[in-house]
Parts: sequence; C-alpha cells; structure tokens
Amino acid sequence: MFGLTEGEWTAVALSLRVALVATAVSLPVAIAAAYALARWTFPGKMLLDGFLHLPLVLPPVVTGYLLLLTFGKQGIVGAFLWETFGFTFSFRWTGAALACGAMGFPLMLRAVRLSFEMIDRRLEAAAGTLGASPIWTFVLVTLPLALPGIIVGSILCFAKALGEFGATITFVSNIPGETQTIPSAIYSYTQTPGGDAGALRLTAVSVSIALIALVVSEFLNKRAQKRIAAFE
Amino acid sequence: MTSSFYRSSRHLMPGFAMALALLSVLTPLSVRAQLADGETRTVTIFAAASLKGALDSAAASYEKSSGTKAVISYAASSALAKQIEQGAPADIFISADLDWMNYLAKAALIRDASRSNLVGNTLVLIAPASSTVSLTIAKDFALAAALGDGRLAVADTKAVPAGKYAKAALEHLGVWAAVEAKTAPAENVRAALTFVAKGEAPLGIVYRSDAIADKTIKIVGEFPGDSHPPIVYPAAVTTSSKLPDAAMAFISYLKSPEGQAIFSQAGFAPAP
Repeated sequence: MFGLTEGEWTAVALSLRVALVATAVSLPVAIAAAYALARWTFPGKMLLDGFLHLPLVLPPVVTGYLLLLTFGKQGIVGAFLWETFGFTFSFRWTGAALACGAMGFPLMLRAVRLSFEMIDRRLEAAAGTLGASPIWTFVLVTLPLALPGIIVGSILCFAKALGEFGATITFVSNIPGETQTIPSAIYSYTQTPGGDAGALRLTAVSVSIALIALVVSEFLNKRAQKRIAAFE
Repeated sequence: MTSSFYRSSRHLMPGFAMALALLSVLTPLSVRAQLADGETRTVTIFAAASLKGALDSAAASYEKSSGTKAVISYAASSALAKQIEQGAPADIFISADLDWMNYLAKAALIRDASRSNLVGNTLVLIAPASSTVSLTIAKDFALAAALGDGRLAVADTKAVPAGKYAKAALEHLGVWAAVEAKTAPAENVRAALTFVAKGEAPLGIVYRSDAIADKTIKIVGEFPGDSHPPIVYPAAVTTSSKLPDAAMAFISYLKSPEGQAIFSQAGFAPAP
C-alpha cells in the first residue's frame, strides 16, 4: 500500500506506537515537574532543573549510553526492575519508548513550565475564594489555562520522539519489528547500496506524519486559545 | 521597568555587532596563518571501527618518525564509504571488507594503484566476563539454546562488514535460521561489543582484535576461517585526496614490519 514494503510499514507503526507512548508517559511527569519548578522553591531546584534538561544538551548517543548504564539489564534501575518485576527495557520497544521519551521530555517540560508561569494567579486565587481546594483549583482552573502550553509541549515531544535516532540505536539497537523506528530504518537503508529508494519512501512518510501532527496541534491550540479568551 | 531594560539592551547591540564582525574577520586570518606554515601535513583517514586502538598507536608512532599527523574518523565501513561517496574529504579509506572498497572503486573514488591489503582478522564469539556459558563452535552448535531469551549482539548484518561476516559464518554452520530473529543489530562492531560488555546481550560476535582489548568480556570460541569469506582490510588513497604522496607513505608505513607489529599485537592477523 502506497508502495511501502511490509518491513517499512512495521517501522512506521512501531514509530507511531513508541512516540505516542513516550509522549503519554512523559505528560504527567512533565506537568508535575513543570508545576514544581514554576511554583515552588526548594533546595536543589537549580540542580533538578539542570538534570531534567540534560537530554536536551547532551549528544543523543551519550543519552543512549547513560540509559544503557542505568536501565540496561545490569544497570542500577534496570537490574532492580528485572529482579523485582521481571520487566526489562533491553532490546524491547519499551526501551525505544524510554529513549524517545527521555529525549522529548525537556521540550515538553519547557513548554508546560512556560504556560504555568504565564497563568494569571488571581484566577486561581478567585477559585480559592469561591471554595475550591488546591487540587480542584489545579484541575479546573490551572490545567485548562495551561492547555495551549501542554498541547505545544506534547507535539514537540511527539515530533522529537518520532525523529529520535542516536539514543535509540545506542540503547536498544536496530531490531526490525521491535526497536527499528523510522529514523533507524532510514539509516539502515542509507547504509546499504541501492537503498536510496526505501530511504526516500520513509522520509516522505516521516514528513507527512510531521505535517499532520503540526496541523492538528495548530487546530487544538487555536481552540484552546478561544476557550481561554472566552473566559477572560 | 520594561522600557528601561529595552533601552539598556539597545546599547549592548552595537557592541555585540562589532564583536561578531571582528571575530568573523579574525578567524579566517588565523586559520590562513596556520595553513601557510606548511610543515605539519595532516592526512585524513576514514577507518573501520574495529581498527581503533591499533591504528591510533600506528598513527602516533608514524607522527614521531615522519612528522605527518593523522586525523582518523572511525565508523562502520558502510557509513564511511557512503560519506566518501557524498564527497567527504578523506585521504585514505581503510575498510573492513572488500565489498565496500569495491563499491568505491566502481564509483572511481579511490586510486586503484594505491590499493592494497593491510591486515586480516578472526571472528570470535564473546560473552560478558562473568558469564559461565561454554560452547564449541561447530556445525549446528547450540547457539539459540545458549541465548535463551537474550539476544545475539552483532553489527548490522546487512551493511556492516563484521555483521556480514557473522551472518555468513552462522549460515555456513547452519544456525542462522534459528538465531536470525534473536539478533540485536548494532550500529558498528564496537557498539555490539558494548552490548555484551554491559551485560545487555549474553553473547555477541565481534573481531578477535576487539575482544582481546576489552577486559569486561571473554572469548567463548573462534569461528573457523572457512566459515566466512576471508576477513581482509583493504586500504587505498581516495581520488579526491590533496596529499596522495603523504597518504601513500602512510599506507606504506602501515604495511612495513614496524606497522604490522603494532597490528599483530592488537590481535589482528596478517593480510591473507
């Protein structure tokens, strides 16, 4: 279909699955971390901020290598997960999702944090005076107001996860059907003589997905902005 | 408050612009000064990942004796050949198999007169140092069983020489069909070694020269020489090289007894 081979469709489906899972799992973590960094002061705040932004500034291969050392079968966290839960990231699509999520997380964090910082605190205070508990205020006032930032952050994370290569291949290698995402498949094609046609096909798919994601995000963003404007 | 901040940053702008302009003028001048002093010639080498270590030592000792510096880029031979094809400025290309050298020869990107075989190598099966696995490599040996649910770390079997040799050896021994779905294809042979060294993969196939350098892995067995095409590292000077004589001299050094001694100490075999 569309001239793609079965192996290529597998790579596309795997890429989408990995990117969606990476974004979905990063979302609550990013919202929590962004809220903490935007609203609270605590000892070690700058260190935490720096640490969470590491994948943004480190070379992707380094991030992949660090993931290998920490979450690999013999890594600190990886060994614990394996012994206690029998769960491992080794050479599985979950490892690819972890690598892509780690790389996309800082982008989501920045966008969400920015939108939390720009919220008018008086609206939250007003909700408090009307009897809402802090948690309800967060759910009914803060989150909806931060929605544009959350949408932008999610799209950025999704796009980064879709295009992630260095960390993925270093952490979980390039296993067709399991960890061979679109970038890894394109890379394999570019390394084989006569593989340019396949590389171009997958590039076209990659560009299409990215464009669709951007259009959807613009649409959602506009709708969220309209709803916020209607409230103010 | 915002307007005074903007006003002060406007004062900084001309300063920044001047600094940037100065920098962009001075930098090419300083580079030209370095190149004008033509005493230190630098030869750029694109070499297969498995040569790292041995080639670094050879280049260091060659620099001491001749004054020619070598800048070496290590990657999978497939990646390097593709880069040279796209115009990367290498003087010398050292591949881990004949296919990729032939690929460039067909595209007339290497000087055929300068091509020669440098060294050979052997393929070995490795495991993490703490592993207790014991296998004898022979026809239909129990590789799949030894892997269990783990994966066999190899370099990409479609493009990277180490992976191609590994696949050929496993096919020859009749075990490829059983392990094909259980491989972890790494970007190059050194990445495959890392997977085994970090305990991610219980077994892997790399070159003997890679295995003896790393203390965190151990050699389980050696693949018989006739189970795969002979492992040969051809070297050649590229057609785009601006220093063909210096490059040829470097290759001659690598083939000299002194150069060959460095390679054999690192675990390479003499060129077949």
